[in-house]
Amino acid sequence: MSRTRRIFIRCALGALLAAAGAPGQGLGQRSLYFTVEDGEKLITGLKEQNFRLYEDGRPVSFRLAEPETSVAVTILVEYSQASGLYLNDIVTAFRELIDAAPEGNWYSLATYSQELQIHQDFTRLKGEVRSAFDGLGQPFWGEVNTYDAVYEILEKLEFLDRRKVIVLIGSGLNTLSRHTMGDVERKVEAASVNIFVMGAGTLLRGQYDAYLDSMSRMTLLQSEAFLNMLAKKTGGQAFFPRFETAYRDIAQTIFTMLNCQYRILYESRARPDNRFHRLKLEAWDPQNPQKKYTVRVREGWRWR
Amino acid sequence: MARSFLSNHSPCLWRGAVSVVTAAAVMLAPAAAQSPRAQLEPAVRQALRQALLKSYAELFDEAPKLEFTAAQTAAMRKILDEAQKNCTTNFRRRADDFGRQLRDEQNRLRADTARIDDTERKKRHCAIQNLRALEAQARVLAEHAIPVAYENRRAKLDLIEKWPAELKQIQAEIASGAHVRRKWGDVKDIGFRELIPGQEKDIKTGQDAVREMKLAGLMPPEVENPVVKKYVADLAQRVGRHSDLKVPLHVTVLNSKEVNAFALPGGFLFVQRGLLEAAENESQLAGVLAHEIAHVTARHGNRLMKRSTISSIIYQAAQVAALILTGGAATIGTYYALQYGFYGLGLVLSLDLLGVSRDFELEADQLGVQYAWNAGFDPNGFIHFFDKMATREGYVNGLSWFRTHPPFYERMVQSKREILFLPPKEGLVVNSAEFDRMKAELKKVTAQAEEEEKDRPSLLAPVQGCPAPEKIEYKPGEPIEKLCPEPGESSSGAR
Repeated sequence: MSRTRRIFIRCALGALLAAAGAPGQGLGQRSLYFTVEDGEKLITGLKEQNFRLYEDGRPVSFRLAEPETSVAVTILVEYSQASGLYLNDIVTAFRELIDAAPEGNWYSLATYSQELQIHQDFTRLKGEVRSAFDGLGQPFWGEVNTYDAVYEILEKLEFLDRRKVIVLIGSGLNTLSRHTMGDVERKVEAASVNIFVMGAGTLLRGQYDAYLDSMSRMTLLQSEAFLNMLAKKTGGQAFFPRFETAYRDIAQTIFTMLNCQYRILYESRARPDNRFHRLKLEAWDPQNPQKKYTVRVREGWRWR
Repeated sequence: MARSFLSNHSPCLWRGAVSVVTAAAVMLAPAAAQSPRAQLEPAVRQALRQALLKSYAELFDEAPKLEFTAAQTAAMRKILDEAQKNCTTNFRRRADDFGRQLRDEQNRLRADTARIDDTERKKRHCAIQNLRALEAQARVLAEHAIPVAYENRRAKLDLIEKWPAELKQIQAEIASGAHVRRKWGDVKDIGFRELIPGQEKDIKTGQDAVREMKLAGLMPPEVENPVVKKYVADLAQRVGRHSDLKVPLHVTVLNSKEVNAFALPGGFLFVQRGLLEAAENESQLAGVLAHEIAHVTARHGNRLMKRSTISSIIYQAAQVAALILTGGAATIGTYYALQYGFYGLGLVLSLDLLGVSRDFELEADQLGVQYAWNAGFDPNGFIHFFDKMATREGYVNGLSWFRTHPPFYERMVQSKREILFLPPKEGLVVNSAEFDRMKAELKKVTAQAEEEEKDRPSLLAPVQGCPAPEKIEYKPGEPIEKLCPEPGESSSGAR
């Protein structure tokens, strides 16, 4: 076989493998952070052979990697005049979160009402974040542009090539955002970030539920659905506590979950076609392969 | 009647008025026309400008030999005032211009946002980012760097003017033996004298303060390098042993690039990495540590606390600290100092806020010089360190140095006075091999910290893919004339 022919065959094989998305020659390496749960219990210590990953329904090879130790946590807080009735929830949630936050991570603080404002860039000193929050003063604007805020913070985080988490403290209500819920959904699908939500105003909602008209109820349901969507799409979790003291447990749960996250690295077969590529990750008990665990992982990717 | 009076007398009145105005103009013209610059001969002005570029330490030696008249220094002071005004106005105007351009750019973007493609949008974002950076730089220069730089110049001018007389007075006091009767003049009894009784009562306060700061999550990590830790602890203990300290000294080296050290009541001394980096020799570092130890021995914390309750201090501090920290204008040392009123190098705003007398700082300077000397270090190290930092930190932190009481000039002169009053001593240490070894180890710590800093994520990072924002070229420590040249000189400031 001539040398030219051998080169041609090798090139053709390479192209075929690339088109098929063979591991190692895919279009991009993806990092998945997820937790494995058995009811309310977080399962740790699973091995690579206890997982199976599917992308668009097809099995994908992967490797289990050590999670990056320091997480870049952005605390995104609704802070508006309109939040006045449940501002106490927001303040409590923030304080509990920052108290529970372990050393070693990077923390930043952003708030939103009419627009997104960064009050503290990433710091290892969580006291700085606390001080920034304490210095906020009275909310000035009456808007709650949650969609814009989530969209913009995702844009800012887009280029951080590391483990990222957003903890959103807010009601999910949205007033005058430029971006639609669809815009945010697409952005979230493309972003490599886990979003956790500490819902605010749930207690109030419960108290006044009987007095709400169907329109208001619909708005509130929609806001909750939006927050749930953020968490579900990204492999995070949304919490809607019905009493104030629950915020402490929620804060601790969030950081415990982060601490118990697994990380999988795999080569995605998906092309940058701006379409949503669904993921499925299975995990099972090593002692009893019949027993499947729940995996809290992002639903998929939109690769642009 | 009035009309007839005017018509009858108006030519006469007009003539009178014109002559009065003319006479006044003739009398005032020379004074108005003669600007401060014109009052000073070019050669004298040049000589004064050269002198003002020297360090404080050099000026202490050279000022008695300089022969400038009071009128010349007064004219120079006016020149400096005028130059500062021009320079500040210039940069305020530039900041306003950049701000205007920024708003125009943003308005154009808003108008075109639906029409432009992503490439064009990125270009516009980069332009906006650049203008934001330029506006911020011009604003910082106008509001902080320029005033501080000119205050530095004026303080040196004070030194040229007043130090020769001050020196004569000091020499006269030494000759007459009067200097021994000054407050804390009993330097041969250091360690056996009681400055303010009850240092041990401050230990609890200090422990509480340390605990609260740790709980607040504001404590930077400690430097882990054993060589650095041991060296700083040994040096501080050596100074402590030769001071009036009656409590154990706890030394912590914090891994923070801030150039600061602070002491909490009861003997808790915190030294930040930046200070170790900035110190050029052992006597400089010893001088700073001695200053901090003096705050403990003189119980300034306790005396401060008597003025207001701890909680009110914390409340006040929290308000201000939140403001400062979110503005990014100050660093962690400011927070500590605000929190407990204590006590960095006296650089922080808190002393004003908390109503602390400038006497505390002057007292710590005096005692610090004594302790460094008593421990066998060259007490001039303290002045040299201040000297170096006056230009550097003054720019970096607008809250520091000249923003504090007492004025820098006064602190320098009082420290020098104390040094001259001290009995002569042979073999005072300026530097040591241990210090150099510590510096070598510190380089590793710094390199690691810088590496971690590079890894620091940011929400405020520049837009990806844009060229780096333009800079108005001015480095801390450079002569201010580089930024605002006098007429006839060339500017190096970009844009």
